[in-house]
Amino acid sequence: METAAIMIIAACVAVAAGSVAAGISIGRATSKAVESIARQPEAGDKITTTTLLGAALAEATAIYGFVIALIILLVK
Amino acid sequence: MDFGKVLMEATSSETLFEIPFPGHPIPVSDTVVVTWIIMVILIVSAFLLTRKMKTIPEGKQNFVETVVEFLNSMAKNSLGHHWKKFAPYLGTIFIFLIISNTVSIFNIIPTSEDLYKITGLEFFEHMPKFSIRPPTRDINVTACLAIMSMVFVAYAGIKVKRTSGWLKSFAEPSPILVPFKVLDYFTRPVSMCFRLFGNLLGSVIVMELLYMTIPAILPGLVSIYFDIFDGVLQAYVFVFLTSLYTAESIE
Repeated sequence: METAAIMIIAACVAVAAGSVAAGISIGRATSKAVESIARQPEAGDKITTTTLLGAALAEATAIYGFVIALIILLVK
Repeated sequence: MDFGKVLMEATSSETLFEIPFPGHPIPVSDTVVVTWIIMVILIVSAFLLTRKMKTIPEGKQNFVETVVEFLNSMAKNSLGHHWKKFAPYLGTIFIFLIISNTVSIFNIIPTSEDLYKITGLEFFEHMPKFSIRPPTRDINVTACLAIMSMVFVAYAGIKVKRTSGWLKSFAEPSPILVPFKVLDYFTRPVSMCFRLFGNLLGSVIVMELLYMTIPAILPGLVSIYFDIFDGVLQAYVFVFLTSLYTAESIE
């Protein structure tokens, strides 16, 4: 295979692996948050802000994958 | 339509002009110019909003007090009773990041290419391209902010615990952890820098592609999420992480 094709495949793998991890972790965090809001509706505000923050932190794995894919594709 | 060209344009920063310097001219990119504009706006508004302060607030002073109180309570929640020394830095970074992440919604001036197409004047063809896009989409800006935050964390640790106490804290639970704690000071800025950079660049690229394919109505709606919500959330995450690390180092 050519180097260019290998680079494109590598970029795709980087984005895909990172996105899967981020998707699973954000889904888990949100499901737990919904559960706890249903159990304790009066703590809803606090839980929502914490969940948003946790989701933003968990999203970082996808972002790292994206940045690495960009580096693979753009930095020659 | 050429997606690759648009992507390259969104990720690279244009050199607008060069500052003449004997031997080596300093290139000034559009990122720097946008940062200067934000700095001017922040400094001027800080002067204007804090003039003629009164004991009983009214008008603009109400707004300023609300903002300052919010920033102070954010620092208070995470830093405990040492908050007063460190709240100004965290607040400054927060306000700067909020404005610089969401600045692309003010991108209403036409680019030089559009002006050339409309007017047909030769003058506009040779003008460098300039459009207001978030300066945080440039990795140099976010790397700089992340390093500043890490220096601030070390400074806070030294200020509160003195140099000897700060050095001792590296071997706190057990001396085996020393290499990891030293490594923390290098991996944390990298992670903070990539998180902010990747998020902002991602949203800029998504918005550019959307402007290219569906230029009407839909970008306005999507922009609320990608430009405003994501920008404010990432600014908050950055400041939250900085205050978390600070709280850990002054504990």
